[in-house]
Amino acid sequence: MRAALLPLAAQADHVSLTPRTRVIAAVLAILFMLWILDLIRRDRLQERYSVIWFVFGLALLAGAAFPGLLKVVADAMGVRDTNVALFSILLLLLLGLALNFSVIMSRQSTQITRLAQERAIERAREQGAREALERRLNGAAEASDESAARAAGEPPPGAAD
Amino acid sequence: MRTLVFIPAWNEEASLDGVIADVRAHIPDADILVVDDGSTDGTTERARAAGVLVATLPFNQGLGAALQTGYLWAMREGYDFCAHLDADGQHPAAEVARLLAEVRADKADLVLGSRYAARPEPLPGAPEPEPEGEDYKATWSRQIGINVFRFMLTLATRQRFTDTTSGMRAANRRVMKLFSENYSPDFAEIESLQLAVREGLRVEEVPVRMLERTGGSSFLTPVRSAFFIFKGLVVILVGQFKPRHAEAER
Repeated sequence: MRAALLPLAAQADHVSLTPRTRVIAAVLAILFMLWILDLIRRDRLQERYSVIWFVFGLALLAGAAFPGLLKVVADAMGVRDTNVALFSILLLLLLGLALNFSVIMSRQSTQITRLAQERAIERAREQGAREALERRLNGAAEASDESAARAAGEPPPGAAD
Repeated sequence: MRTLVFIPAWNEEASLDGVIADVRAHIPDADILVVDDGSTDGTTERARAAGVLVATLPFNQGLGAALQTGYLWAMREGYDFCAHLDADGQHPAAEVARLLAEVRADKADLVLGSRYAARPEPLPGAPEPEPEGEDYKATWSRQIGINVFRFMLTLATRQRFTDTTSGMRAANRRVMKLFSENYSPDFAEIESLQLAVREGLRVEEVPVRMLERTGGSSFLTPVRSAFFIFKGLVVILVGQFKPRHAEAER
């Protein structure tokens, strides 16, 4: 393992990464992952949506530590310039992420609509129940008036319900 | 046999009273439900004051979601038939009554009121009582959209439709069941027709008279119309490849 990784780490010159770039990239990757962890810790990000970002951070770190990896990937893609390979991968990854978010958004939008509809139906039911109750209370009030009136010899009202 | 007439309304307080009165006058045996699609004006209060039930969506969800709420209510409350018409006063309730007569007679599962279908002339000496008001006229940008959709939908369903975006419809329980579960919020009018035909339901058009709106304004500008048409085409195309639910149930 060590024997395989060392040459990968030593190939920095082949992929035009200066030591400074590698350090910056590594620091950024670590900060990025710490940020993700913090977001999860403060309940700002759900774990299930954090996995992809964590993988993203790890990949960045791996690229900084072992520039040879990038060369291997570029060769596998048949791309001569490792920078092109890097940007292509990043672009595809971001596209995939954006699509993933659209799918999640669509699902949630459907759920929100159904929730709103259920609430609207509940409101109409509430209104119906309340009005029926009011009618019965009024009816009861009128009925007691009527029974008093009937005693005085007036005809009874038609049944409302 | 119980019938529900529901009215999707979004900021239509100006015309709602008239529409409710119209429905009561021409379809006296039907219950009325107003679906308030998150209005910011007094639509809900007006409707309640008029003595009808109101299903108020907590925020604006679009016509498709509002219509689906109506179908959902009709389904859950056990109505045998339902119909809906616009709240802006374009749809005379007398015409809705004719649509309802068709589904009640079991001539079709879903009946649409069409502005553009040829209407049989009334017999001389026995003039039909025509609803009062100015006749509906389509603008040119709308004409294009109408024709594109008409063509695409006819192609997709192999059934001739003249008024694909008509918001005046009557339906039985089979349609309620389908629409309360599957009703695209994005392109309600067209996709629902396509869906109903694909599910093997009998869809029929009845020529009706529609009026110029009494309140509010159309949301269509030329740019929106173009986007509307484009979206419609995509929806119809994709709709052709959606799985049939009836088959899935078997």
